[in-house]
Amino acid sequence: MASVKLTDVKKIYQGNVVAVHDFNLDIKDKEFIVFVGPSGCGKSTTLRMIAGLEEISEGTIEIDGVVVNDLQPKDRYISMVFQNYALYPHLTVFENMAFPLRLLRPRMPNAEIYKRVTQAAEVLGITQYLTRKPKALSGGQRQRVAIGRAMVKDCKVFLMDEPLSNLDAKLRNQMRAEIILLRKKIDTTFIYVTHDQTEAMTLGDRIVIMKDGFIMQVGSPTEVFDHPNNLFVAEFIGAPKMNIVKSQLLKEGDKYYVNPFGSKIEVGGAKGKQLLAKNVETQDILLGFRPEHVRLEQNPSASNFKVTLEVNEMMGSELHLHVVAEDGSKLIVRIPTIQLNDKEREEMVYGKELYLSFEGKVMHFFNPETEISLLSNQESPQKSDLKQDVPEE
Amino acid sequence: MKTYSDLEYLRLNKFQKFLYKVARFFVGIPRWFLNLFIAIGNFFAKAGIYIKDEVVDVFMTFKNGDWKTRLSYVIVGFGSIARGQLLRGFLFLIFEIIFILYTALYGWYWIAQMGTLGTKGPYKYYDPDWDTYVTKYYDDSFKILLYSILSIFFIVAFLYTWRLNIKQNAIAQDILDTPARKALNKECKAEVKNYLSSHPDYKKPDNEAVKDEIAKINEKYDALIAGLKPDNLKAYKKMVKENNASRASEIAELKKQNKVELKQQLLTIETKQERKKLIKDNKQSLGERIAEIEMKYGDKASEFSRDFNLNYNHEKRELEQERKFLIKCAKDGKEVSDIKNEYRKKVEACGKPLVSDKQDLESMLDNQFHKTLLALPVTGIVIFTVLPIFFMILVAFTNYCAANDGHFNNLFTWVGLENFNTLLNWNTGSKAYSAAFGEILGWTLIWAFFATFSNYFLGMFVAIMINKKGIKLKKVWRTILVLTIAIPQFISLLYVSKMFADNGFIKAWLVNYFGVSPKFSFIGDAAEPWVARLTVILINIWIGIPYLMLIATGILMNIPSDLYESAQIDGANVWQQYTKITLPYMLFVTGPYLLTSFIGNMNNFNVIYLLTGGAPKIGDVGGAAGNPGYTDLLVTWLFKITQSDGAYYNMASVIGILVFIIVSVISLIVFNIMPSTRNEEDYQ
Amino acid sequence: MEKEKKVVETNPAQEKTADQIIKENTALRDAEIKELKRKNEAELKQRLASTDSKEERKRIKEQNKVDLYNQISEIKNKYNDLLAHSLPSGANKDKRHMGMKSKRIIGNTTIYIILIIMTFIWLFPFVCILLQSFRVESTHMVGYIIPKQWGFDNYINLFTKKAFNDGGFGRWYFNTLIISIFVALIQTIIVLCMSYTLSRIRFKGRKFLMNFMLILGMFPGMLTMIILYRVLKDMGLTESHAIPGLILVYVASSGMGYYVSKGFFDTLPKSLDEAARVDGANRAQVFFKVILPLSKPIVIYTLLTAFMGPWGDYIFATYVAHHEETGMNVAVGLQNLISSEQSINANYTMFCAGGVLVAIPITILFMILQKYYVEGVTGGAVKG
Repeated sequence: MASVKLTDVKKIYQGNVVAVHDFNLDIKDKEFIVFVGPSGCGKSTTLRMIAGLEEISEGTIEIDGVVVNDLQPKDRYISMVFQNYALYPHLTVFENMAFPLRLLRPRMPNAEIYKRVTQAAEVLGITQYLTRKPKALSGGQRQRVAIGRAMVKDCKVFLMDEPLSNLDAKLRNQMRAEIILLRKKIDTTFIYVTHDQTEAMTLGDRIVIMKDGFIMQVGSPTEVFDHPNNLFVAEFIGAPKMNIVKSQLLKEGDKYYVNPFGSKIEVGGAKGKQLLAKNVETQDILLGFRPEHVRLEQNPSASNFKVTLEVNEMMGSELHLHVVAEDGSKLIVRIPTIQLNDKEREEMVYGKELYLSFEGKVMHFFNPETEISLLSNQESPQKSDLKQDVPEE
Repeated sequence: MKTYSDLEYLRLNKFQKFLYKVARFFVGIPRWFLNLFIAIGNFFAKAGIYIKDEVVDVFMTFKNGDWKTRLSYVIVGFGSIARGQLLRGFLFLIFEIIFILYTALYGWYWIAQMGTLGTKGPYKYYDPDWDTYVTKYYDDSFKILLYSILSIFFIVAFLYTWRLNIKQNAIAQDILDTPARKALNKECKAEVKNYLSSHPDYKKPDNEAVKDEIAKINEKYDALIAGLKPDNLKAYKKMVKENNASRASEIAELKKQNKVELKQQLLTIETKQERKKLIKDNKQSLGERIAEIEMKYGDKASEFSRDFNLNYNHEKRELEQERKFLIKCAKDGKEVSDIKNEYRKKVEACGKPLVSDKQDLESMLDNQFHKTLLALPVTGIVIFTVLPIFFMILVAFTNYCAANDGHFNNLFTWVGLENFNTLLNWNTGSKAYSAAFGEILGWTLIWAFFATFSNYFLGMFVAIMINKKGIKLKKVWRTILVLTIAIPQFISLLYVSKMFADNGFIKAWLVNYFGVSPKFSFIGDAAEPWVARLTVILINIWIGIPYLMLIATGILMNIPSDLYESAQIDGANVWQQYTKITLPYMLFVTGPYLLTSFIGNMNNFNVIYLLTGGAPKIGDVGGAAGNPGYTDLLVTWLFKITQSDGAYYNMASVIGILVFIIVSVISLIVFNIMPSTRNEEDYQ
Repeated sequence: MEKEKKVVETNPAQEKTADQIIKENTALRDAEIKELKRKNEAELKQRLASTDSKEERKRIKEQNKVDLYNQISEIKNKYNDLLAHSLPSGANKDKRHMGMKSKRIIGNTTIYIILIIMTFIWLFPFVCILLQSFRVESTHMVGYIIPKQWGFDNYINLFTKKAFNDGGFGRWYFNTLIISIFVALIQTIIVLCMSYTLSRIRFKGRKFLMNFMLILGMFPGMLTMIILYRVLKDMGLTESHAIPGLILVYVASSGMGYYVSKGFFDTLPKSLDEAARVDGANRAQVFFKVILPLSKPIVIYTLLTAFMGPWGDYIFATYVAHHEETGMNVAVGLQNLISSEQSINANYTMFCAGGVLVAIPITILFMILQKYYVEGVTGGAVKG
């Protein structure tokens, strides 16, 4: 059993720079948790605090019910894979992987070391490289050796710090699949750090989205995708980004409407009922809708708004249409290619006028000042809590 | 012997692996010797073939050479002059003249005497005018030896030049006498003859007409050349300007972006050291990216310039050549000169011409720039290092000393291996020398070993200490230690030697406070040998640690920190991290430095001489010059021998040669074993 | 037991203290392990007896070792888990054993202590020299450090005892200054030429030249001194005219010290050269216009080391000056001051003063240019 519990964990650097604010998280045994966020959001710092490579300024971290704040890394039963692999250049692959085992006291018998290393090598497919040195391996192979070295130990928590960032795109996809397979073979808790939201979505049981040291949201990929708690999460998850436009939320009796660019679209279905249940009043909001949830309509009407097409990116199975609304805001629309017939596809050129609409269930509403979703059920930091953007000199 | 496959080898435990390696080593020894012999054999074979090739080449060139080439065998440089390469030719010729003059007038004299090193020594005779004995000085062995070596160098240089000249001739002949050229020249002559015979009333122009013609030619070609420029120049300048502008703007944009990114990243760094490292890395990567941009635009710029320059220069050169040729042929009349010009163009197309004088000068700044740059330094080295070393090696086989100083006291002559005998006590040499030699040799090796490695590990230790996370005032500590390097050694060493002297205050302090016997001595004449030696090593540590600390600091900062973190997680304690990460890395990078440091310490004159002067003296060495002491190194003993009353330069030379042999053997062995030379890319 | 154990505030009301829990746990665990080992031994004996082949026995033993190890590890883990959960958890920070933080503090304190001791040892001689140079009451060596009477007498004596033209300290200083300046300039030029060529230009005989110079360097430098002295003497460049002679000798062979500079040039990207050459520059222009402007650190490093060299050269300078005081440099002159028994008694403090005067400008120079020096040493020296 290897649950990890972080309670009110803070990391403060010299000069009162707070890198991680009040981090609270309960990780269940054998869960695959991903910390994701932009550069400098504190995800690596948190991981390193769990590993014992950084000191915890405040709060406690428990691994398997034991408070580990003052324990050395080696006593915490963790394994870690580093971004730059951290392989010992003068040792062979075999010795690299055997390194942690040789440090155990009382000594592990040589036969056992050999068995474990070769087993791990077989799982990862690097048996033929066992006698080579790291310099003779490609990036992907080195990554596997790093993973192998982490695998041979008995560990309760398996930490990975941006392991795929140094690989090229194709290799990254391949390794992603391998990590998923790996997870089935090593049945333990995983904590994975990345800045790539695709990795987060595909790998994680639960995702922790961070910014500026705050947890912006915690949830499963579906939750985070369908119900972003705040503007940052909404824009961070999903590619291309969610479209955000200024609008108003109008309450008329029991119905709610939004009015982007002069249209008036009803917020129907479950979303409408939720708004009602929360007694939300008429207010200015930031309205969010994903590019793939947009409907293209041919004719103008009250419930759609006009946009002009600027760029049409042919992605193969879809078209990404970059459009400009009447007030100059830029939006993106994703349309499956088969939805349009040949004639319509030909017409998708610069200057074409289109009419966009969407349903209530795909709408997201955010308070313009706090940037928090009106329907959120998790506590979330407000915009004012976060660091201001660095002004250019 | 059983050889294990790779995987089987991995199964063995540490002890078994060690045994296996040892066994493999011993099994491999005969093969190693065999390889050595083969290598030596190959070397001689190659040398032999090389010499044979050279000799054959000289012969063949003579056999196939035309009269210009053959004359060059005697008058060096004639061939080049005759073929139009005046600069080279005259240089060769001047060198030959100097050489002949020198050898005839001086060199011969010195070399002739080399066998005997002088026959007429100083001669005392009675001068009745002054009523006393007067000495007249005749031969000077020193000068004889010196200048004869110089002459030999000169001869070798001349031989090389002579050979170079032959090669030049061979090349030139090949170029000029290609069958194609020969055929074309023949054709040209035939056609001119034809033309003249078919135009019997063809008159060659007179001087006035020739002058007119020349003026016309000049006018025409000046105009042509001037006309080359305007077309391309403007467009070229414009393109260059645009290129520069876009390059500058792209770089500015990049810098701006980089600044913002860097600022963001800096906000999350804790220690000052990491911050500095980040800034340094960023600077470097920024520099690299800027260099990429520059290269991209540089490529574009070179494209323009290549197109422009190539065409322009090429055309200009052709026009110039044509003009020159036509002027030369002007006296033949227009039609004939036209014919000749046609053929000239065809011949040009045949192949490259000889290197002209102008090109020679240009290449001194270009292709041959290395020769230009190296000329002065290498000459200096040859005259002031190689020559003296040759001289001193030869001195080892003479009896040059104060009593036989070659001129004033007595001549010196060759004595063969007698000096080696004396030193090493082969047959009937003096026991004193060989005993002293053995003792000093042993100490030299021990000293070099301890001095090098103690400084190395302690310096590394200090560097690691100062570099540790959490230690403040890093710069202050380093500066304090580095002060020691700044102060000249002779001051610090001299002072420290006085501190530890018999009447120095360290001893006084020990005697007063610790009751040490007053007879105790650190480095004085009464000291115990090993006390003195230990003291010297300790003081050398004091001197050497700052250097090593500097070097180690620089390297330590380059070891990626996640290696350490990974080891921490794997459970390595501090000592294990040191032995498995830091030490291998450091040893790899500083391998060559350790070797040079070891050799340097073997010849470390300053420390020993200024500290102890070699004291305490070795007891029973009456007869061995120089008063060797227990802390003497071979080099200090060498020096003392030359400073002593007998001034036995010959013995000093012998010691010097032996030092050289020892050092080179050690270097060779170590160099071949060192991992840095075998596994160079491990760390890249 | 290497594992850190949590500790609980001793609360008398609690049934068992943490110590007791740990002790119990350890005892139980060890007992179980002992039992296991005993059983294992018996089993092993049986199995070994069942076969005759040596190979088979070896294999059984190996296998047994591994199995036993695994079983013991399991037991250990079981008891560790038990222990971790039987101790009450809490967020207290009192630890009885050293945690990471306290370990670090102790480590750092030790280091500071060592560093302070080292500072003392390293600076001690120089402080002594400085203090001794101000001593007025006596001029010979004494057993105490702090002068009883302070004054500048020693400094003044240095300059006045012997006139400039007679060869006093002032003369030596001046000589050394001249030598250093010339040597710095000329040597830098020569070294730069040499190292640039060896680094950038691949010409025939390059390897040979480098190996040749390596071998030349293995001869002790002493040997060549004698003959160089003779040659200089014949040219008349010794004794009072020692300065040009010394300069000549220093710079002539300075090309052999190219390692550090070459290392530096090796780190400059070759694409710079190539871009310039394609632009039409010949090699000379590449050198002067492209490479040299980028070589500021190494030029300064070379200038600095070349300048500092002559101040400390004792051996050859002695030879050449040959007791003629107007031709001496500071090293020889100062050494002469204390060369004999009487002179050391009369001149010891003057020697200290002289040392201070020599050390100060060089130290200041060195400090200012330390950055370049460090770059030079670490950048070039170790790549060899």
